Amino acid sequence: MTHLPEVVTEEKMAEAANEAELLKEKANKYFKEKDYENAIKFYSEALDLNPSNAIYYSNRSLAYLRTECYGYALADATKALEVDKNYIKGYYRRATSNMALGKFKAALKDYETVVRVRPNDKDAKMKYQECNKIVKQKAFERAIASDETKKSVVDSLDIESMTIEDDYAGPKLEDGKVTVGFMTDMMEWFKEQKKLHRKCAYQILVQVKDVLSKLPSLVEVTLKETDQLTICGDTHGQFYDLLNIFKLNGLPSDANPYLFNGDFVDRGSFSLEVILTLFGFKLLYPDNFHLLRGNHETDNMNQMYGFEGEVKAKYTAQMFQLFSEVFQWLPLAQCINSKVLVMHGGLFSEDGVTLDDIRKIDRNRQPPDSGPMCDLLWSDPQPQNGRSVSKRGVSCQFGPDVTERFLEQNKLDYIIRSHEVKAEGYEVTHSGKCITVFSAPNYCDQMGNKGAYIHLRGSDLKPEFHQFTAVPHPNVKPMAYANTLMQLGMM
Amino acid sequence: MASRQPFTDTDTADEAVRATCDDATVCKRFATSKGYWKDPYIQYFVRSVGERKAPEINRGYYARVQGVNRLLDAFLKKTQCDCQIINLGAGLDTTFWRLKDDNLMPRKFFEVDFPTIVARKIHYIKTKPPLSKPIIETHSTDSLLLDAHSLDSDRYCIIGADLRNISDMEEKLKKFQLNTDSGGPRTAAYLLPTLVLTECVLVYMSPSQSSGLIRWAAETFHTAMFINYEQVNMYDRFGQVMIENLQRRQCTLAGVETCQSLELQKERFLRSGWEHANALDMIAVYSMLPQEDVGRIERLEFLDELELLQQLLQHYSISWASKEKLSLGIIWLF
Repeated sequence: MTHLPEVVTEEKMAEAANEAELLKEKANKYFKEKDYENAIKFYSEALDLNPSNAIYYSNRSLAYLRTECYGYALADATKALEVDKNYIKGYYRRATSNMALGKFKAALKDYETVVRVRPNDKDAKMKYQECNKIVKQKAFERAIASDETKKSVVDSLDIESMTIEDDYAGPKLEDGKVTVGFMTDMMEWFKEQKKLHRKCAYQILVQVKDVLSKLPSLVEVTLKETDQLTICGDTHGQFYDLLNIFKLNGLPSDANPYLFNGDFVDRGSFSLEVILTLFGFKLLYPDNFHLLRGNHETDNMNQMYGFEGEVKAKYTAQMFQLFSEVFQWLPLAQCINSKVLVMHGGLFSEDGVTLDDIRKIDRNRQPPDSGPMCDLLWSDPQPQNGRSVSKRGVSCQFGPDVTERFLEQNKLDYIIRSHEVKAEGYEVTHSGKCITVFSAPNYCDQMGNKGAYIHLRGSDLKPEFHQFTAVPHPNVKPMAYANTLMQLGMM
Repeated sequence: MASRQPFTDTDTADEAVRATCDDATVCKRFATSKGYWKDPYIQYFVRSVGERKAPEINRGYYARVQGVNRLLDAFLKKTQCDCQIINLGAGLDTTFWRLKDDNLMPRKFFEVDFPTIVARKIHYIKTKPPLSKPIIETHSTDSLLLDAHSLDSDRYCIIGADLRNISDMEEKLKKFQLNTDSGGPRTAAYLLPTLVLTECVLVYMSPSQSSGLIRWAAETFHTAMFINYEQVNMYDRFGQVMIENLQRRQCTLAGVETCQSLELQKERFLRSGWEHANALDMIAVYSMLPQEDVGRIERLEFLDELELLQQLLQHYSISWASKEKLSLGIIWLF
């Protein structure tokens, strides 16, 4: 149905404008009473009568912010500025909307504009500075140099004076140390969905931070003829599947070494249980239990995909801060017998990167947007030669020729990486020079994929693949978002 | 009204099906709050934005909503709104309000769902002026016809009924002026083009029950279109996992047989009285949506594992069927 254009006189317009003002007053009243529904309703009516009024858009934007409709708030703020690019409040509204949506750089631009136009406005300056702080913090996390003077959570913790209540029946460290008994008890405790006392969690974190910080960014291990290393890929908070790996392949020990190739947390419902178990084994067998960093051992991913939410819910924000610090010390790659290189993501956006370059990476930070550290955590192999823009929007995709050149230059045989779910749990590509291993079966309770792990013997360094399927787990929603498949009634 | 029956297994099953209505509403609420698409009315059905949903879920809902809306709007434009729309199993859907805002209202918009869901929806409508006002505005008198399980107005009607009891449902719809081909003169004045819409509804009833409903639609309306959104390609690992997961919630996909393939989704219409049928999986639909807007929504949230979205989209489909010169080719997507 088409709208016939109305003949509008100036008188009619003035009439409409007046009525619109009355409606706006009404809306303002509702806003003051926190009745945002009605406020929005009447602002909308005012806009129907007078669609070129920036104030109405701006006010409605604020009402939308209060009802968490950030997308609308942003749209209205933008509209307000379209109508009147000198309307200062419009910039504020748009900045606030962008902040709510986590788009701090965009917000900063608008605060900057306000400060420029109103150099004497203290409030504008304050808002700009606050936003700038957040942007800088985030930029810091991407900065080239790590800040040595950044305070660690460890400094403000007094673990000694944390007391464990008498009625806590769970596992405790023995003389402040992780033992085999402690690990067995803790895994059983977790299996029954019980919580480890925060003192024990802090003890583990502080100790493992210390251990990891002493490792180089490229860890070198030697497997003797008779040694066998088990390499696992992403586990993503799937604790019960981790227990199954230990059941199928034996518990970790000095005689049964393991390497877990990143992405221990996020998406799965039991990320805390997984990471505390892995950290516990790292402390128990530091030379024979290896952990590498994945792209999910970062603040951005943890915030979006559940780990931060889980830690905050089960413990505190401070503990998440400590996890974040510990993750920053995870090594980025491991070289086995100078022949096999393992990393979570893959190879590099540029040719010419050497093992020495990896060794020299200053890794105690959030990964930058690009560069070798970013590539190690984010890149993916592709079937065709050359490099392409990554489907992920970060790092790159690298072809068999890139792998070939890298291996040759560094005198390696092949690489093992993870990072991508595979139906069979593993995939061999680039003529056997690039292997993917993924150890989270039925990923997100949805994919139906198998998990796999690799046996690597010191005698021949040929990968032997072992597959396994998912085991049942308690019906717990992953933190911060509802279980994917539970939504899949999509209905 | 039947006497109170003891709580049976089917009651549990039905209750589980009704619960999926909340899943959808809550997911749409979250996605719209993040800016995936505009729906100013959904907040009146669920106030709080709630827990974060995974990005692939948000993108999946975006594709569904955009896809179904484009088909719907194409039908309305082709019939110049001189038509009626029946949303079966509508839940807390806000389409009527969107159509009113967009000036695309059919002559009358009907919604049918379980009585308990309808009662809830009527309660929200009654108590939220942004919902009731558009209905009252389009009604000729001052008062609406309202009872516990039905609301009727000139342009909008919602009734509580069981879709598996077709004669009862038809009776109720006719009571509120549903236009049907009842054997009278077959002229434009008497026969309104009709659109029947089901979104994740047929899969919850047995294949014979759903084909009964599809056949009823073909026989009751002379010039008509049927749009169906639901699962497809279900006979693989993903499908198995979904079935198991939903079983754990006592929710049975009784109609999963017809969700085996796109062919079957088309065929179920062709053998139940419909002349033309098309079916597309959501990967195809997603790729055909205006890519500028798709680009915009993809920038809203970072998706860490594209496989999850691909797999999701592969297992949902939109199919549409038509009779009597109402055929809409794939052109509706462009």
